[in-house]
Amino acid sequence: MTTRHKTQLAETLKTGRPVPPDKPNILKTLLTVQSTLGHVPANVISQIAQVLGVTDAQVAGVLSYYPDLRTQSPGRHLIRVCTGESCTANHGGLVLRAIQDCVRNVIGDSAQSERFTVERMSCAGNCAVSPTVMIDGDFCGRVSPSDVSSLLERYR
Amino acid sequence: MTTTRCYLANDTSSRAAGAERLAEAWSGRPEIQLIRTSSRGAFFLEPMVERDTPKGREAWFNVAPDDLPLIVGGVGGTPVAEIPFLQQQTRFTFANFGMTEPLALDEYQSRGGLKGLAAARSLSPEAIVEELRISRLRGRGGAAFPVWKKWQVAQQTKSEQKYVVANADEGDAGTYCDRMIMEGDPFRLIEGMFICARAIGATRGYIYCRYEYPAAARAMRFAIQKAREEDLLDCDDYPFDLEVVIGAGSYVCGEETALLESLEGRRGVVLAKPPYPAESGLYGKPTIVSNVLTFATIPSILARGGAWHASLGTEDSRGTMALQLGGRVKQPGLVEIPFGLTLRDVLDRFGGGMAPGSRFKAVQVGGPLGSLFPESKLDIPVCYDAFAKAGAILGHGGIVAYDDETNMVELARHFMAFTADESCGKCTPCRIGSVRGREILEHIQAGEGTAESLNLLRELGETMKATSLCALGGRASYPVLTAMEHFPNEFRSKLSAFSSQQ
Ligand SMILES: Cc1cc2nc3c(=O)[nH]c(=O)nc-3n(C[C@H](O)[C@H](O)[C@H](O)COP(=O)(O)O)c2cc1C
Ligand code: FES
Repeated sequence: MTTRHKTQLAETLKTGRPVPPDKPNILKTLLTVQSTLGHVPANVISQIAQVLGVTDAQVAGVLSYYPDLRTQSPGRHLIRVCTGESCTANHGGLVLRAIQDCVRNVIGDSAQSERFTVERMSCAGNCAVSPTVMIDGDFCGRVSPSDVSSLLERYR
Repeated sequence: MTTTRCYLANDTSSRAAGAERLAEAWSGRPEIQLIRTSSRGAFFLEPMVERDTPKGREAWFNVAPDDLPLIVGGVGGTPVAEIPFLQQQTRFTFANFGMTEPLALDEYQSRGGLKGLAAARSLSPEAIVEELRISRLRGRGGAAFPVWKKWQVAQQTKSEQKYVVANADEGDAGTYCDRMIMEGDPFRLIEGMFICARAIGATRGYIYCRYEYPAAARAMRFAIQKAREEDLLDCDDYPFDLEVVIGAGSYVCGEETALLESLEGRRGVVLAKPPYPAESGLYGKPTIVSNVLTFATIPSILARGGAWHASLGTEDSRGTMALQLGGRVKQPGLVEIPFGLTLRDVLDRFGGGMAPGSRFKAVQVGGPLGSLFPESKLDIPVCYDAFAKAGAILGHGGIVAYDDETNMVELARHFMAFTADESCGKCTPCRIGSVRGREILEHIQAGEGTAESLNLLRELGETMKATSLCALGGRASYPVLTAMEHFPNEFRSKLSAFSSQQ
């Protein structure tokens, strides 16, 4: 963690400290930390536990339970490809493959890089214009494999 | 130069379909002023641009930036009232969609908003529950439990603190109407929740919104703030406050007890019932957990009366249902109609048949816990009664059509893998059973399965149905077993040649 991250975290936890009678809320705190740091590094578990007055195990348990909480920092751009039923029926699988190929070509053999992280997601609630790709929170609909390279170009 | 006022939807799916590109391309163009509304839900036509005419709104479909001169010139538009997909619907809960700016409280009010709350304010808590009993409204989140019964329990349970929670986890693949409501008519959800709060005596509410719906969470937070400023939430000295809480991507957190665990910040695991949340829910206090669509239906019921609601639909399914069409249909989108139309009619009249070049194979109704219907089973009326009789569920109204390229064994594997990924791990049949189910299907896919594998799958499915703690394990086998039932040859032809000869 950089010094900047450390100060950000301390700041986040200070404002996130529960005021009685509010009870400590582990999930909420972790989501706040993630929105500040981009992820929740495993080495901040103790610090969070201390602030909330819960055990390290409780924090680690929540952190590992939820798919949207990440312990690794993602690339600059997070690409999530929907593998829900509507997207799959509309050949979302081909879009996923095109994205993986494209990202590999841009960066080398790993689908994880400084620029992009590619993940699958379950239904994004965008089924009526599927297949869906979500990049950094932007929804793209009716994506076809041939759109992929120009789409990714927009995210440097 | 005159400026033409036009309407363009600001909903996530409309933006994803290209509305945002239009707005960007036309920003700064003096000939057009864009009003960003909710979407009508005819997503196959999006991005759709509308303008006022003396005879009502006219629309241009699948608009590209270069179409601007046509729209400004008034050339080639279609009257919105003549779009068959919309014309054949009966819109109550979704009546405002496409008409209003979602965050404009005055527009919500001018179109009948807050009338339900006004009616509720003149009724005693018991009378509100009575109105819901008469309405025969059943929950729209999946379990279809009578709403009034839950409310009555919460009302009669004594406690100094009670809660109202909107379930906005919307995890079923193929569903998006909760997202539309939160983004497109957020005050309707607030109104419904507030009516519930008054009926049961709750002073705090939460909207548990999935992580994947950032725009919905933003709209709800903005609307709540506005409602607070306008003293909407604090009338008659009845204090009520609402908060949006974000989930973190767990499907099972849509199950009400898991949702409440998650709301308290813990791992979202399912708890054994009883006690039901209506008696002992959030922080051990009486809590109503209802689906977003359920709450959004309530203002109309109070405004028009329970008897009005009960006059729509079928014997055990009163009112309208928001069906959400997806998959390979030609016209995916939101369809609000009274219960009772057959699945075939829904697919033909609203879905418009299959997408060009594809042939129908099956349709999945009710999300990952629902059932597959082949062509021969499409004459089933879309209502809770008929679906229950067929051993299926309507769930949250998601309808996903598959074409003839679909590999049913792969689809079955996909569903089992989903459950294996999403199981909360609390009960063994779901935690272990789903993994075994996925493995058996992988064996079959690899050509290593035998006739025994199919028997084992059936037996596993029956065990999971009978012994799981919640409907995730309890219904996970339905898509698999219905795929096996209706497409047996696809499974059989994958079995290893050796055993299939025996
Ligand atoms: C695995 C599982 C997932 C569920 N997901 C949702 C959901 O995303 N949204 C929802 O409203 N109900 C969901 N439910 C149903 C809830 O447990 C609960 O019945 C519902 O929120 C009650 O609201 P209603 O009475 O308005 O239907 C789910 C149930 C199960 C077993
Ligand atoms: S299935 Fe992909 S958005 Fe719903």
